Amino acid sequence: MKLKGAKSVHYDSGPNMTPLVDVVMVILIFLMLAGSFAGAEHYLVSNLPFRKNGGGDATPSAVPDDPPLTINVDNNATHDGYIARVDQYAATDEEQLAADLASLRDKMAAIGQTPDKVQVVISPGHGVKYKYVTEVFEAAQSVNFKKIGFSTGH
Amino acid sequence: MKRHAMPEMKEGGVNVTPLIDVVMCLIIFFLLATKIGVNDGGDKSIEIPVSQFGEELKDKGNMLTLNVRERSDAGDPLVTGLVEGAQGKPIEIQIRQGSHRPLLEILKRLRKDNDKFGVIIRGEKEMSYQALVPVLTACMEANVRNVDLNTAKPK
Repeated sequence: MKLKGAKSVHYDSGPNMTPLVDVVMVILIFLMLAGSFAGAEHYLVSNLPFRKNGGGDATPSAVPDDPPLTINVDNNATHDGYIARVDQYAATDEEQLAADLASLRDKMAAIGQTPDKVQVVISPGHGVKYKYVTEVFEAAQSVNFKKIGFSTGH
Repeated sequence: MKRHAMPEMKEGGVNVTPLIDVVMCLIIFFLLATKIGVNDGGDKSIEIPVSQFGEELKDKGNMLTLNVRERSDAGDPLVTGLVEGAQGKPIEIQIRQGSHRPLLEILKRLRKDNDKFGVIIRGEKEMSYQALVPVLTACMEANVRNVDLNTAKPK
């Protein structure tokens, strides 16, 4: 009896992609697990004030002669918050403080001072929360004061 | 007229080409959008304050990140950073140790030969300013003027 052999079928469907897919999947999983996304954070850039006296060894010529604009920050007595006093103004939130600082900036410009050169010193009370200190910092930065630093508090 | 039949299509398994396209796109996205193996010493468990304004730092190589937490006993704050002796994990830096001031000494040493040296402060948003004062004082005494506050972008 004549047996009919099995008909061999050969599919030529190009290169074998399976190892590639395996490797690529491993790379993808590694990147997903090991990577951390950037961009969720940023930085408030500050310059600590120069001092003519004290521990800092700044050269005297680098110390600005203009008196600094000091923002005193204290805890708000009525609720969890702060009160920031600068010149004759007192503000309890960032928006109000930014508006006050903007008027001070305009006044400085009107009398011939260069606001960009004015050193803003934030002087918080020791009990003021750090998040409120950064709010005050942000308010000063929002009205384009360039030199913002901290004093060791009052 | 004799009609020629279309050649029979042989199905050779699942078509993986679209899968590879998508996966390759994902890999390129992750390569561009994520940072791998960059450890600046920032303690991610610290809840930092949120701010609208802020800048991206271009030169983090010259910066030392100091994680600042308030202690419950109102003593010196707990400061950690990636300094000499830290094996990939921030270690505690004492503010005072007897007559020594380790934080100040470290800052002075790093600042000595590097005019561009700066400090990044990563402080807990709920801590009081009092906890930050020794750190700022040490920065000022070491003549480190470039002190940046790490804040989160609003969600």
